[in-house]
Amino acid sequence: MNNLCADIGWKSLNHYGEQLCGDHIEIIEMEDDNTVLVLADGLGSGVKASILSTLTSKIIATMTSQGISLEECVKTIAATLPICKVREVAYSTFTIIRLIHNEEAEIICYDNPDVIMFRDGKIYEIPFKTMNIEGKIIHKSSVKLRENDTFIAMSDGCIHAGVGMSLNFGWERKDIAEFMETISDVGFTAKTLSTVLTDQCLKLYGGNPGDDTTALAVRIRARQQINLMIGPPSDRNDCDKMVSLFLSKGGKRIVCGGTTSTIVSQYLKKPIIPNINYYDPEIPPTATIEGVDLVTEGVITINRVNEYAKDYLSNNESYKQWNYKQDGAALISRMLFEEATDINFYVGRAVNPAHQNPNLPINFNIKMQLVNELSESLKKMGKKIKVNYF
Amino acid sequence: MKVTVCIGSSCHLKGSRNIVEGLQNLIAENNLKDKVELGGTFCMNNCQNGVCVTVDDKNFSVSPDTVEEFFNTEILAKV
Repeated sequence: MNNLCADIGWKSLNHYGEQLCGDHIEIIEMEDDNTVLVLADGLGSGVKASILSTLTSKIIATMTSQGISLEECVKTIAATLPICKVREVAYSTFTIIRLIHNEEAEIICYDNPDVIMFRDGKIYEIPFKTMNIEGKIIHKSSVKLRENDTFIAMSDGCIHAGVGMSLNFGWERKDIAEFMETISDVGFTAKTLSTVLTDQCLKLYGGNPGDDTTALAVRIRARQQINLMIGPPSDRNDCDKMVSLFLSKGGKRIVCGGTTSTIVSQYLKKPIIPNINYYDPEIPPTATIEGVDLVTEGVITINRVNEYAKDYLSNNESYKQWNYKQDGAALISRMLFEEATDINFYVGRAVNPAHQNPNLPINFNIKMQLVNELSESLKKMGKKIKVNYF
Repeated sequence: MKVTVCIGSSCHLKGSRNIVEGLQNLIAENNLKDKVELGGTFCMNNCQNGVCVTVDDKNFSVSPDTVEEFFNTEILAKV
C-alpha cells in the first residue's frame, strides 16, 4: 500500500439538439486501489450512439476488472454490438485506463485521441505499442505512476471542436495538451480540469457542439486529511473532549461557527481575531485562531459550501466562484473539494437558542441536514468521510 | 474608541454587513480613522437584540436603518 490515490472526474457535452450523450464513462473500483476506467464513444449521436457506448464501456469495464484479456474483450464487443443499419458497422471507439495499486497505469486506446499525460506540470508523451486485434488497431502503453501524474482521456468531440468555424482543423491534440499544461499542476481537481477542457470546446463550437464531447481526467495524488468542527456539543461538559479529539488528528483544521470557535479558542487559550472584509456580501467574514487553519461562521457558510458541492456533482458551473474567491465558503470549498481526500467531521448537536427564532431561515434541523447532505456529496466526489457526533 | 460589530450568523442575517459598511463609510467621511477602531466579533450571546454593537464595552442594538443615528449619537458625539 502506498499513500497515493486517484482523483477522477469527467464532463460531457451532448451533440447539439440531443437529449442523450453518445459518449459514456464507466468506472469500476476494486480492492487494493485497482481501478478500471473506460471512455467509449458510440458511432453517430443520440440514442443509437448512447446504446453503443454504454454497452461497450460496461462490457470492457466488467471484463477487464475480472482480469480477462484485452483480446477477449474486443472479440466480445465485436460479437455483441448491434450493427447499424445505415452504416452496416457496429462501432464504438474506446479508451481504457487501468490503475494497478495506484502504482502503475495501463492505457489502451482504440480510435479515440491518445491519452494526454502531464508529469511535474509538463506534457509527458507516453510511448505506445501498436497492436492489431480482430482488425482493430489499438494503442497500448503502460507507465509507472508518480504523485501528481495527470491523465486526460477524450472523445474525438474535443479535437473536432471548432472545425470549419473558429479553427480550420479543429482543436488539435497537441494544442489541447499545451492548453491544459498550464493548469495541470495548480491544484485543480480532476472534475475542474475536465470542465475547463469541455468549456473551452463549447466555446470553440460556438455553443452548439457538432459532436458529443467528453473529457475524463485522472490525477494521482497523495492522501490528505482535513478536519472540520461545527457546532458545540449537546453536553457542554464534552467541550474539551470534542476539541481535543478534533485537534489530535493530523491535517488541516477548519472551525465553523461563532460559539464553536469560542470553545476552540478557550481550549487553545488563543484569541479569535475576526476580520470584517465582506468578499461575498452574503457570507459572513472569517476569523483566525492560532493553531487552526480556517475559522468561519457556521450555518450560512456551510449552506453555501453545500450548494457548491451539489453543483460540483452536476453541472460544475460554480467552480468559477469558489475557485478564486476569498470568502469563508469558497475557502472551505477549496480545502474540502481540492485539497482533502479524507475528511473527518466533528459535529456538535447543541441547539443554539438564537437560531430557534422562527423569523430566521436557520435552525438546528437545517444544520444537521446540511452536514448530512455535504458529507454525502463529498463521498460522491470519491472522498473518505467520517462523521463524529457529540 | 473601539467599536465592535457582531458578525455571527444571527446578526449577519439581520444586516451586520450593512452596518459594518455604513460605519466604515461614516468613519472615513468624518476622518475618524485614527480615533475609532472598527472590528468584528463572533456571537456575543445576545442574538435576540441583534445586530449587537459595542462601543468600548457598552452594548447597543443597531439595525441597518439606524446606523447613521447611532454613529452621530454614540460615536461622533463622543470621540
